[in-house]
Amino acid sequence: MSPPPHPRPDLAPHPRPDMPHAVPLAAATRRRGQHPGPLWQLLSSAGFRFALLFAALFLLAGLAFTGVLWWGTAGALDRQIDAAIRADAMALAERWRDAGDQAVADAIGERLALDAENQTLYLLSAPSGQRLAGNLEALPQGFAPDVQWYGMSLERDGIPGEARLFVLPLPDGSRLAVGRDVEEKLRLRALLTEGLAWSAGVALLFAFAGAALLRRALERRLAPVTATAALIAGGDLSPRVPLSGREDEFEALGHSMNTMLDRIAHLMEGVRGVSDAIAHDLRTPIARARNRLEEALANADDPAALHSALERGIADLDNVTRVFQAVLRIAEVEAGARRAAFAPVDLVPLLEDAAELYGATAEENGQTLRTEWPAALPLTGDRDLLLQALANLLDNAVKFTPDGGSILLKAELLEDAIVVRVSDQGPGLSLEDRERVGERFFRADSSRNTPGSGLGLSLVRAVVQLHGGTLWFDEGHGESLDKPGLAVCFRLPLA
Amino acid sequence: MLHDAGMLPRLLLALSVMSAPSRVAFPAELRTLPQDLHYCQELVARLATLPAGVQQPARGLGEEGELLCRTGHIRTGIARLRRALRVAQGR
Repeated sequence: MSPPPHPRPDLAPHPRPDMPHAVPLAAATRRRGQHPGPLWQLLSSAGFRFALLFAALFLLAGLAFTGVLWWGTAGALDRQIDAAIRADAMALAERWRDAGDQAVADAIGERLALDAENQTLYLLSAPSGQRLAGNLEALPQGFAPDVQWYGMSLERDGIPGEARLFVLPLPDGSRLAVGRDVEEKLRLRALLTEGLAWSAGVALLFAFAGAALLRRALERRLAPVTATAALIAGGDLSPRVPLSGREDEFEALGHSMNTMLDRIAHLMEGVRGVSDAIAHDLRTPIARARNRLEEALANADDPAALHSALERGIADLDNVTRVFQAVLRIAEVEAGARRAAFAPVDLVPLLEDAAELYGATAEENGQTLRTEWPAALPLTGDRDLLLQALANLLDNAVKFTPDGGSILLKAELLEDAIVVRVSDQGPGLSLEDRERVGERFFRADSSRNTPGSGLGLSLVRAVVQLHGGTLWFDEGHGESLDKPGLAVCFRLPLA
Repeated sequence: MLHDAGMLPRLLLALSVMSAPSRVAFPAELRTLPQDLHYCQELVARLATLPAGVQQPARGLGEEGELLCRTGHIRTGIARLRRALRVAQGR
């Protein structure tokens, strides 16, 4: 027997009396696994993780938005100030080239005199470093000749601030520094930062609240599925997932689960039916064999009677073995294991063999076997199984057709399939019985007195299904009302 | 929960403030010249050279600025005089 598909996890070893500490430790570990803390429950929740992902994306979008906003406000202000400083410095440098130091000093004086906001910074220094004009004491600390732009701290009349400064070297070695007090801009930036920080905080709060809500909603939607699964795990296969009527993924999940459970219940019912049938159908021949052996034991002094009783007992037991072999073969065919043995085969020789075998039996019963098929019926399949299926059908037809009746074995080649029809003049099958006739050990009431195990058509159905075909029943060619006959037909695809 | 939620923006703000260069702990890298009474007088003289400087409202602003400078409010006085100069120049 093959191992189960889902091996059971190793069970925890039984506590040993010589290991007193192992028991509480294992129990504590188990308890932790069974009852994790609320934080762990939250973090391990798929809903929470989805929500967290959503929140992360939300925050990422927020950051991108903030970046654009920052670039458009504080960044624009920076760029605007830098442009104004550079333009001012270039204008003064132009003036210096036209009229020299004094003209620039006058221009700086003029600019400072009109600076009502007290934001401009100027310095014109001689090549020696001496201050010629402007309101700055000196060039900035850490001044480097190859660096033009500076952002640094500023002290204006004892008041601290921030400055942005552009230092332009003039051709004679003089230096012209033009700058702005950017304290106001920094204040604006701080306000913007505070606003964005609050927004980020609120967004984070919303993200977490959304995550919790989403998790709760997912849990609520999945609760019926979980509850149903728990009931089924408890051994009751009857519960089904209640459907809410909404056309969403959870509804689809519940629907799929219900379909799966219906299928499992049907299979379980089938297995139970087969078990019951085996128990019922094998009990009779086994009991009969036992009786005969007992009878033989009673007549042990008569060698001929003993021999005869033993032979009958062996025949009964052979019958039991045949039933078991048939059941195993059906299981093998249904499992699809024989599909590997498929090969191109012509059905005509198989039909001829079956007709020859059962034609003789029919002839003995005074029956007529009529045959009809084309020259060739090529298909891909298992030769032995197909022959077995044909033999089972003909066996049934011969058994149920009355003496003097006729049996028709017909096959025809269609465009994409072969259709075989075995028709008899027996009692036929009611519509209800036709639906059950493929079940193992099923025997119609009208066939109770006929020898058989009720497995023949089960095997035929399994063989046809293995070949991708279909099996159905039709009216036979019986001539009386009480014996309308039965036609068993199957269709096998060519490809 | 709201208390916790308020902590985060404060934390972010504190981080942004902490990351900015400190103005108190280190001396300034750039200094302006102290504004004094001499500069006030220089602005008054400059206003007097302008034709519109003797007319209202520039004259009034100038006088106000000069008075503030004399009474020790140099920065306010200079701001007033500068405004007078702007007005006198039609800006």
